Amino acid sequence: MDGEMTPAEARAALSIVERSRLRVIEQIDVPGWYWWGLALGWVGLGVITDLGHPWATAAATLTFGTVHAAIAPRVIDGRHRSRQLSVRTDVVGRRLPQLVIGALLVLAGVTVAASLALAADGAGHPVTIASIVVAVIIALGGPQLLAAVRRRAARAAPPA
Amino acid sequence: MTAARFDELIHPATRLSIVALLAASDWVEFAFIRDQLALSDSALSKQLSTLDEAGYVRIERPVSNHRRRVLAGLTPAGRAAFRGHVAALQAIVAGAGPGAAHGS
Repeated sequence: MDGEMTPAEARAALSIVERSRLRVIEQIDVPGWYWWGLALGWVGLGVITDLGHPWATAAATLTFGTVHAAIAPRVIDGRHRSRQLSVRTDVVGRRLPQLVIGALLVLAGVTVAASLALAADGAGHPVTIASIVVAVIIALGGPQLLAAVRRRAARAAPPA
Repeated sequence: MTAARFDELIHPATRLSIVALLAASDWVEFAFIRDQLALSDSALSKQLSTLDEAGYVRIERPVSNHRRRVLAGLTPAGRAAFRGHVAALQAIVAGAGPGAAHGS
């Protein structure tokens, strides 16, 4: 370096920095198996609820909640899609876990409301039907949510 | 707000790419850096050694599933130097003048 740098050279250097940052942002994700597993568990819970055995519903709900609580903290932060790197929290955003859990709570409410509406309409297996609809939303919407998180991270200014 | 400080050690393009990759991560595996930046093993080792000697990078070699992995991450000094360097580049682009922010 000769001690002098033009704005064009500085801009080129900053674009190198940005390219590297975007390479890391591309790695922000929640594993696909998490969304599919969640969707299958959701449908399973719906089917068991429709069987009409309160003890079975309670046991299944407890099992579902326990398994999810054991797995989710390790994957829903979006920082460990690959075992090759750990994305910094300030790059992903600190609120991703709350966002995912909040979305699941809303979908739980949607499942209950849709089940009640279907039952009032005389549909057979109302909880199963509502759960299948919500499971599709989870399986398709989960990856979309993470894509939105990546776009948001890409737009955010890098810390300086 | 980070003080602008041009860093000659970080500035070469390959090293800047490596440090910027590490700056957005807690740690990165050697193979990921090599593949993303299309570097040879020896070229990347050389760059990481230079950054390690400067105290900018820490290298760890944990064993997982009977396989030795090489992980790299920025040290606090490396992170501070990177932020200062980026601030210096931004100052030059913003019109503080060519070379105005050079601090080393």
